[in-house]
Amino acid sequence: MASEERIESVLGRIQDAVVQYDEESCRQWCRTVVEEGIDPCMAIVGGLNAGMRIVGEFYQKNRYFVPELLLCSDALYAGLEILKPHLRPDQVKVKGKIVIGTVEGDIHDIGKNLVKTMFEAAGWDVCDLGKDVKLERFLEEQQRTGADVVALSALMTTSMMAVPKVIGLLRNKAPRVKVLVGGAPFNESIAQQYGADGYASDAVAAVQEGAKLIGDKRSLGF
Amino acid sequence: MEAGVTKSSEPRMMSRERITALLQGKPIDRVPLFPFILGFCAKNVGLPISTIYSDPEKSFDAQRKTHEQYGFDWGPIYGYASYGTWEFGGDVKMPEGDYEQAPSHSVNPVQSENDVSKLQRPDVKKAGCLPKAMEFSQLQDKFNTPITVQCGGIFTIAGNICPVELLCRWMLRKSELVHQILRLATDHIVDVVHHWTRMFAPHRVIPQIWEPLTTNHIISPRQFETFVFPYLLEASSKMLAMGVKHLLFHICGEQNGNLPYWAQVPVGDPGLCSFGKEVEMTTAIEYFGEKNIIIGNIDPQLIQYGSPQKVYTVCRETIEQAKHAPRGYMMCSGCEIPPNSPPYNVYLMGKAANDAGRYE
Repeated sequence: MASEERIESVLGRIQDAVVQYDEESCRQWCRTVVEEGIDPCMAIVGGLNAGMRIVGEFYQKNRYFVPELLLCSDALYAGLEILKPHLRPDQVKVKGKIVIGTVEGDIHDIGKNLVKTMFEAAGWDVCDLGKDVKLERFLEEQQRTGADVVALSALMTTSMMAVPKVIGLLRNKAPRVKVLVGGAPFNESIAQQYGADGYASDAVAAVQEGAKLIGDKRSLGF
Repeated sequence: MEAGVTKSSEPRMMSRERITALLQGKPIDRVPLFPFILGFCAKNVGLPISTIYSDPEKSFDAQRKTHEQYGFDWGPIYGYASYGTWEFGGDVKMPEGDYEQAPSHSVNPVQSENDVSKLQRPDVKKAGCLPKAMEFSQLQDKFNTPITVQCGGIFTIAGNICPVELLCRWMLRKSELVHQILRLATDHIVDVVHHWTRMFAPHRVIPQIWEPLTTNHIISPRQFETFVFPYLLEASSKMLAMGVKHLLFHICGEQNGNLPYWAQVPVGDPGLCSFGKEVEMTTAIEYFGEKNIIIGNIDPQLIQYGSPQKVYTVCRETIEQAKHAPRGYMMCSGCEIPPNSPPYNVYLMGKAANDAGRYE
């Protein structure tokens, strides 16, 4: 059984590996978690997620940009791949469920992928529909998964016009689901005009907004 | 003053005369209106948006008619942000359906490290959209409008050759691969302009460089310095050495952190520098105004969703800020005018230029 000091040290190493986008080191320290019998849930929350929280802060302060964020997320996923199979069934709790995708007519998905990563890092169950997603698919997937939030991304001024149509579909069949929108052509005002429940200008803000939408104000996302 | 109530002052110069005088540093009657308007033109004359990119003759005609209707001055242009994918061996898909705005890449020519070494400099007479771009330029020549040639942007071409996420990862992990792609993109741009300067008088050729992927929403100013600036400097110098007089840069999106680098790149005499809504016109003038004509930066979303009053007011305010830029100013949307914009809002851009853009 690892000592508290040892656990703290290992979690710190995992956190550092994520922040320094050192995928191999992250993998190694996550293996150490398994080998030394450290609680994998603790390692995910206190190591991987804590690292991504710092990464998010760096991104919002213009210390990290998309290249760094992508490599940090690679380290995160490398760690999750090792730790997740060792979670006990009662530890597999999710903060919320979200369906995400870039709407029909739009192939731009960098922003959407970053949002997906940040939600996963914050403990959400994410269903990613990809890009150029037919409008009805958002509703179908929400109905199938019972997602709390549907997140819609668009980068073009033409494709953004698909967003109110998806919102209309959701309002008819799933009136309680919250809709979050984002992408270059959006702002608060257009999001409201379209009938969305929330708008976020970047991936970190999206998670904070998602948390607010499901009433999880305590954690502000992470 | 309420938009649409007052009668605009009558312009005293014709569009061509106004643009020629501006480029020559001579007095003009009012602020010109630069047309960053493509899909809107197709819809305006009842054509599908894809026509703008796939049929040079119809594209030129749709733009010319729409420009005349709304008072745009510069002349029709050809180009799209996904340039480079097709030319380097990938595939693009023309816009279709209700929600697509421009050609988009369907298959990137580079998907893995091995693909990089297989890349070759495209034949500029045959590759991708270039034959259509040439056909379009022949129309520009015939109608005596500026012969703008689409070059894409060096980094943006790289991000169209290779998926952007992969390119970003390689920037930190395998930078030599990124430099290989950037080298090819730079050589390609120079090749394109060389071809155009052999077909038309070099002083009439205006290469247009668009760099949406260098936004600070994606890369840092330091990454710009390493991966973009040296190539941009090289390509610009080579293009100007061919006898080109003006380059047209569209410094797209949030690029405030990159401006100190952009400002060191020669753009011609004068150069033409266009900005998105994210760069204040006063900032643009500070960095670029001494040597370049400033173009920008009306928010496209405002044109699509703003009230006519707001559109008119913002256009007037922008004109007031920029009309006395040392080498001149052209009012323009900060990126493409959304194809579904209310026509009246587009009309108000021209009205604002006529009402507030006059020079005494």
